[in-house]
Amino acid sequence: MDIFRQIIILFRKDFLLEFRMGYAISGILLYVCSTVFIVYAAFIDVEPAVWNILFWIIILFASVNAIVKSFVQENSQQQLYYYSLAHPIAVFLSKVIYNALLLMVLSLLTWLAFGFVSENPVQDSGLFMLALFLGSMGFATTFTFIAAIAGKADNNSTLMAILSFPLVIPIIMTLIKMSGTALGLSEGQNLDNDILILVAINMILLSMALILYPFLWRD
Amino acid sequence: MINKSWWKILGIVLLIYAFTVGMLVPLKPGILSVSPASLRTGQSAQVKVLGYNSNYDKAKASLRAWLKLDEEKALQAESIEVLNDRELMASFQIPDYLPVSRRVQDFTIVVDNEIDGYSLRPSAVVVTQDSLDPSMGQQLWVNQPIEDLHSKEGMTFPFRNILEEGIRNTYFHVALWFAMLFLFIGSLTYSIRFLRKQDLDWDRRAAATTQVGTLLGILGLITGAIWAKYTWGAFWSWDVKQNMTAIALLIYLAYFILRSSFEDPEKRARIAAVYNIFAFVALIPLIYVIPRLTDSLHPGAGGNPALGGEDLDNTMRMVFYPAIIGWTLLGYWMASLSYRAERLRQLVLEEDE
Repeated sequence: MDIFRQIIILFRKDFLLEFRMGYAISGILLYVCSTVFIVYAAFIDVEPAVWNILFWIIILFASVNAIVKSFVQENSQQQLYYYSLAHPIAVFLSKVIYNALLLMVLSLLTWLAFGFVSENPVQDSGLFMLALFLGSMGFATTFTFIAAIAGKADNNSTLMAILSFPLVIPIIMTLIKMSGTALGLSEGQNLDNDILILVAINMILLSMALILYPFLWRD
Repeated sequence: MINKSWWKILGIVLLIYAFTVGMLVPLKPGILSVSPASLRTGQSAQVKVLGYNSNYDKAKASLRAWLKLDEEKALQAESIEVLNDRELMASFQIPDYLPVSRRVQDFTIVVDNEIDGYSLRPSAVVVTQDSLDPSMGQQLWVNQPIEDLHSKEGMTFPFRNILEEGIRNTYFHVALWFAMLFLFIGSLTYSIRFLRKQDLDWDRRAAATTQVGTLLGILGLITGAIWAKYTWGAFWSWDVKQNMTAIALLIYLAYFILRSSFEDPEKRARIAAVYNIFAFVALIPLIYVIPRLTDSLHPGAGGNPALGGEDLDNTMRMVFYPAIIGWTLLGYWMASLSYRAERLRQLVLEEDE
């Protein structure tokens, strides 16, 4: 399968680029660390209910910052070169997979940073990991697609926020409810249902993005 | 002329019908309040009932009243004294023990006469028992079942507690939301057609339809806020459905900001169409999924009345469905005007060049 090979090669390219430059990961990590530090310096003691919401809000902003550059870090000649070599879906999908992994690592490190400065309130770590995984997938899909749209305009970071925040609200609300169960804040009624909803939202958004991306990339 | 614009006339006729019938048809008689609302066992109680749209004075002879415990058990008023057309005093003899093992039991009050038909108010009266003895209560209970109820003749809208006359807002608030949704679906199809045909005309149509859809959405939000003021007590109470609708409007307002950030019409049309389709798909979880996750004051959640069941009766359907069609046609007409104005502006610009 040609398209799979293209995805793997493009993914390796993104990964190597990041590995050699080390700009995005270290920048975002520092961002997360300073935010966590500010949160604890301001609150001192954080209740689990507040911890839950703060955690996801920090992840939300860190994700936007990490992904907004996806389509603007390479100039248009370079992009034209990719599109002449690979199928646009391969270009898009490789970015989504790369961003999903990036967000996964990012959220795990945020969790660690939180755990480093205070006690870890998570009781059901498996469920929390599942929430992180599904959240990274959903955020990566939505934000990568919106970054592709916003990248076409000039003032793209403002546009990125106003276009993407309303769209991820269903995902983030379901995530907060789900991780609330992992923190022992609620009984976890309809937990299967929530997981199913998240998977369904992720699938719908990803398939929509894949259908629409071929119309978007051409300049 | 007639052939081309029949649907505009139909839309206006339907809206005039919805306004006049929706505003003029009276509500079914109901019960506004009952006092005192709490009684004790073994008491011979005088209960004052305040009716709405009722004719107690004209139907004195056929007036009957009950305190209803459940589907089988009810207690009939021993005597009824009519004060005026809207007020009556009903005397009940509450037995010493009730056939239930609860200390506080709520009763539905039912009033029936031949002119108004029957009206009821759930949980209008609570009876506190001094001591519990269900088997004793079972023996003492003289059941007077509710029978031979009259029904109101003529066209009326149902009387609902709390909602009262506000029930007429169904033809505006709910109908406007439906019309908005239809316009957004229309705009979605225009965006899809644009991506297939690459003809800028479809983009103009999509933009005009989204514009009018957003306008109807804002009107729906305002009518809903006014309704909320009278039923929930505040224009905005951070209810999940209010938040979701505000977010849905944010998504569509972002559509216009996205459009305004491109100079090149081809590029603008393409990217706006892609975002429009993606946003509509993202709207589906917003409207159908999130309200089911959390409790809401809004109809359709937590035992509140909503569309369907007995809450929307046939008289209301006769106004509600035409109102939806009327608002949709009016919205479509507005969108087509906006589209034509935009196209003329484009033509004038091209001539200037």
